Amino acid sequence: MGAIRFDNVGKVFGRANSGFAALEAVDLDIREREFVAIVGPSGCGKTTCLRMVAGFESVSSGRVLVNDRVVKAPGSDRAVVFQQFALFPWKTVRQNIEFGLRNKRTPRDERNELVDDVLKLMTLESHRDAYPHQLSGGMQQRVAIARAYVLDPDVLLMDEPFGALDAQTRVVMQEELVRLARINPRTVLFITHAVEEAVYLADRVAIMSRRPGTIKEVIDVKTVRTSEDWDGFEKIEDVMDLESFVHLRTRIWKSLREEKVAVDG
Amino acid sequence: MRNRKAMVGLGAIAGVVLLWFALTRWFGIIPIGRFPTPGEFWDALKQIELRGFAGSRLHAHALHSLRLIVISFLVAVATGIPLGLLMGWNRRAEALINPVFMLIRPIPPLAWIPLAILWLGLGDAAKVMVIWFAAFVPSVINAHAGVRNIDRSMIEAARMMGTPPHRLVMEVIVPAAMPMIFTGLRLSLQASWTTLVAAELVGALVGVGFVLNVAQQDIFPAMILVGMLTVGVLGWFTTYVLGLVERRVLAWSVQGRA
Amino acid sequence: MEERPLYLTSTLLYGFAGLVVFFGVWFVLPTTGLVPVQFLPSPITVAERVATLTTNRFAGATLPAHIAYSFTRFISGFALAALIGIPLGLLMGWFRIVDEIAGPIFDGLRFIAPIAWVPFAALWFGTGIGGPIMIIFAGAFPPCVINAYRGARQVDPRLIEAAEMLGTSDMRMMTNILLPASVPSIVAGLRVAAGLGWQSLVGAELIVASTGVGFMMVQAQANVATSTVMSGMVAIGIVGLLIDIILRWGEAAIRRRRGLNA
Repeated sequence: MGAIRFDNVGKVFGRANSGFAALEAVDLDIREREFVAIVGPSGCGKTTCLRMVAGFESVSSGRVLVNDRVVKAPGSDRAVVFQQFALFPWKTVRQNIEFGLRNKRTPRDERNELVDDVLKLMTLESHRDAYPHQLSGGMQQRVAIARAYVLDPDVLLMDEPFGALDAQTRVVMQEELVRLARINPRTVLFITHAVEEAVYLADRVAIMSRRPGTIKEVIDVKTVRTSEDWDGFEKIEDVMDLESFVHLRTRIWKSLREEKVAVDG
Repeated sequence: MRNRKAMVGLGAIAGVVLLWFALTRWFGIIPIGRFPTPGEFWDALKQIELRGFAGSRLHAHALHSLRLIVISFLVAVATGIPLGLLMGWNRRAEALINPVFMLIRPIPPLAWIPLAILWLGLGDAAKVMVIWFAAFVPSVINAHAGVRNIDRSMIEAARMMGTPPHRLVMEVIVPAAMPMIFTGLRLSLQASWTTLVAAELVGALVGVGFVLNVAQQDIFPAMILVGMLTVGVLGWFTTYVLGLVERRVLAWSVQGRA
Repeated sequence: MEERPLYLTSTLLYGFAGLVVFFGVWFVLPTTGLVPVQFLPSPITVAERVATLTTNRFAGATLPAHIAYSFTRFISGFALAALIGIPLGLLMGWFRIVDEIAGPIFDGLRFIAPIAWVPFAALWFGTGIGGPIMIIFAGAFPPCVINAYRGARQVDPRLIEAAEMLGTSDMRMMTNILLPASVPSIVAGLRVAAGLGWQSLVGAELIVASTGVGFMMVQAQANVATSTVMSGMVAIGIVGLLIDIILRWGEAAIRRRRGLNA
């Protein structure tokens, strides 16, 4: 469960003839339980790609498929983690996580069990009755991830989820995400502009060109990760020191640099 | 710090009272008949509460006005907030209603008083109508703006969790708009009092505004002051109660805690 | 929110439909006799009445003359409130001792609805021009004070530090840094003050005045001249709207020059 397919997708904002083209001929196949990161220059339409999978945005041409079905509307099979968390400030941590389950009419006992499990998984037990504004940014994003995970979605869509966090918190959250992916693998579409984050987390990194955005290159990380046994390291900095990591990172950097120069020129 | 502030504040109020004595009694700077002395004020207060003035005793006047405010305010809020929410949520409803609303809005609530008296007479119904009008407009505007200003990702988060419409309204839209709604309620309450006092001054048979009206016609400065202070105390009291409700309802927000 | 914004044409169509329904109901009720004409004259009757009142006197003057009386009072009271309220608010914002002394008194008086000053206003200044001016003052004064106070308190401390670093004297600090930094908030307060002042004036004229639109309306009410009452409402609405538009325009101009989003 959870394959995503972009089939020649285009997106024009505004009116069909006078609007501006944000995406053009985007083709990308994401397999079940695969972690794909999209990187690209700002304004290239990477977030739009994610929003189309989520069902927030319609396609102007082509198709977006999840589990071989065309996406029409948002749904809890595709959980989104937003950059600005988007927690409900009037609900406690527990009520926030529970919200989606109550939509699904999950029976109370089962609901409590699921919520307790995910609170434990994200080490949020001691904050269950806090309101979001009482938590740090990192903690708020943990709640947002818990809220998405508890729905048991086919697909997890993460839109620069660590973009609003400070550097230290960010590193902790990245390690956490790797740990989660090991415990409970999901299909993940991860949007970021941080190249290192993409290389560290993803199985494949898709590089987008500037507007109108299209997939320029897809780089395989998983082969290197497995052969060099990145997952054997506890800490992100140990992985980032490896020659194989540096090599991949530099390659993606160069590819992105070409885009940025083109913007300036 | 707090202590110093309270001390200076109390000192300032004591100073005003002292000044009052000084100006009216000891030096007679304010001519007699223009402003009451503290003694005259006290006598007027005793007179209205013990023997009655303008047809009733003070607490009866005050309760009558308070009751009118509470009823009209609740009616206005119960009609204004849903309309504002609807206009914020549904673009068609907004496009339909907004022009009519914009047309009526510039007419101040006080300007409806003569019409209300023509239509409904000097009784309570006319007061309810004008207060309703005064409190209705801010309720609509702020509920409308409250919905309009909801962070879009909040709605999207709800949609991605498959939220059915009634839950979306009751558990996302309404609470998200609540801080703005309360800003509107505070304005509504203020407007309600102004309007009620004006309406009772223009024509009434009972109420604090009517006390002011009779005191003015009798040229009775001490009773005017009694009426004014009653208006102030009632205004303060209702604002205080609204503040308590707000702190309870908005306990989750940063402002609510502060 | 729920849906995408409507196209301009449909917005206009819906708006037009809303207005048609509004005026349609207002027209149909009295013309079909469902509501007596004395209670609710049709929009056409009211429009005709407004036209008549521009040349014919009612309650001692034509409608434009009444408006002129009201507006003169409004300008005087409003100017007085701004001239006293803004400096007081700024002083409260800059000097803690002024804040601590004036604050509680001001807070106490704020709960008394401005219109409740009418009896004293009439007693002290009469029902001609002085009394109504005092009522406008009572309505417009609090927003002037509150916004000047907020403006003075919310000056970016970095601006003050920058000025201190440049060796700015106290006097120049006030006139060149603190005052200009408070201007956007003060102007916003003036707009609120104008709205409250205008409506307080109407209230005052209903109760104690012998000229002005409010007086005209109350006389019309006594004579059951509903179309004249409504003409007064129209005039009050239009003048109030014009005052608001002018101040809104000024506010936007200042915000634009400061690079704040208008």
